[in-house]
Amino acid sequence: MKNRLKVLRAERNWTQAQLADALDVSRQTINAIETGKFDPSLPLAFRAARLFRLRIEEIFHDPAPAGCKNSDGVGN
Amino acid sequence: MNPSQPQESRYQSRMRTSTKRLYRWHGAWAAATLLVAFGTGFWHRALGLTLLAVGLDVAMGVGMILATKKFIEEIDELQRKIFLNALGIAVGVGLIVGVPWTVMDAYRVIHLHANFGFLVILEGLTFLVTLLYGTWRYR
Repeated sequence: MKNRLKVLRAERNWTQAQLADALDVSRQTINAIETGKFDPSLPLAFRAARLFRLRIEEIFHDPAPAGCKNSDGVGN
Repeated sequence: MNPSQPQESRYQSRMRTSTKRLYRWHGAWAAATLLVAFGTGFWHRALGLTLLAVGLDVAMGVGMILATKKFIEEIDELQRKIFLNALGIAVGVGLIVGVPWTVMDAYRVIHLHANFGFLVILEGLTFLVTLLYGTWRYR
């Protein structure tokens, strides 16, 4: 899953440690999310969305192909 | 919201407390286990003292398990993933080495007696290596 965490953090001049403190996680976790090595849980994604005052999908992007169908068989 | 830059974050502070608690309980359990292992000979296998030492060892063991459970609950989701991966691999290695070893020992295929202590050391080392690898992988 791709994300804009690093860009959003840079726009606010926050360090990884500051963001980690605001989200109540370790700096290593922020780094792993920013580099795409680790996908956050839904609660953590919600916390990030609240912190940046954005919707989750404005921060995290699903790289699924355009033809991918949801559980109702409807394509996106 | 404008996150501050504290000397030590809330998470780090919580982890420090949790890790100290974990060390204390693991240390207490190790000390109680040493008491059972070496104390029994020291007090000439007196049943009452041995049972007391075993009871203390079990109590410390329960405390250690609860401290570990609390530690796993308190670490963040990436640390939990790394920790549980390491734990799962360590238990798995212990099983896939321990069971065949016990069977081969029972049927005298090998002449190296199955020793629980070796398995504990193997699991401990596997856990340590896997934990370090996980930490390095997500650094």
